Amino acid sequence: MEIHVDKDACVGCGLCVKDCPMHVYELQDNVSVAVRPNNCMGCLSCHEICPAQALEHRGIYAARRHYIDVNVCEMLRKVV
Amino acid sequence: MSAGYIDELHEAFHSDLVYRSEEIPLECSPKPKEMEQTLHGVMKLNGLVIRSLEEIAGRGANAVTYRAGKKFGHEVAKYFQKREDVEGALHELSDLLRGQYSFEVWKPEDKETFIIEENGETFIYLVFHDCIVRQTLRRNGLDQGGPLCQTLFGYVVGAIEEITGRKAKLEIVHTGPNACLKKLVLK
Ligand code: SF4
Ligand code: SF4
Repeated sequence: MEIHVDKDACVGCGLCVKDCPMHVYELQDNVSVAVRPNNCMGCLSCHEICPAQALEHRGIYAARRHYIDVNVCEMLRKVV
Repeated sequence: MSAGYIDELHEAFHSDLVYRSEEIPLECSPKPKEMEQTLHGVMKLNGLVIRSLEEIAGRGANAVTYRAGKKFGHEVAKYFQKREDVEGALHELSDLLRGQYSFEVWKPEDKETFIIEENGETFIYLVFHDCIVRQTLRRNGLDQGGPLCQTLFGYVVGAIEEITGRKAKLEIVHTGPNACLKKLVLK
């Protein structure tokens, strides 16, 4: 697994550090660094919690997303 | 109700199809794409049932759904090959769950083997990737780890017990939007 943190976007809140169950991240000089990427099991909780959308995972298995209602998304796309 | 509307309905439910009796259906209808609305309906319904169950039974809801899942796991796995080795049992289990759930055996990088012995316990980490329960919970804005997850827990435990003839337990380590980490404890 390759994890990339956008240093310019990261606000150093440390939420990913606290939330990751596998202790993949550490804060270094107020920026998150993926120090143990091989421990990542791809839950993507860090993506959900990061307020800056600063994270990127490469080589991840994206689970099926049946819950997305395309009709609702289409309507939202017209508004947003 | 206007006659026009009634005619419209009649037209919608009428076709020139010739339907012959079949012994064993060979395909499901409609096509998967057209089932999207049905799927959302089922997810919504399941979510409401679980929400109501939680409201009425409180913490007892977990016990009910776990037991239901476990019975189902035993029932379904009865027809599968009996295996004593854990690897074989997990293989059987992944066949059993195909299409609804997918999982892989996983280990943190500091562990040598997939079967881990720690504090007098023998366990295996399983990462559940595709999961219809997670989809349903997210569809309904419900938390993961509650009664609906317990049905899957019961199901896996029931199936493993049936296949291996050994007692088992499943614990949640972490639930995420894309995958969940579980610990299968072997007794
Ligand atoms: S995907 Fe999950 S395990 Fe991987 S870094 Fe993010 S929170 Fe940690
Ligand atoms: S959650 Fe996002 S913004 Fe906060 S430290 Fe982690 S990467 Fe940076």
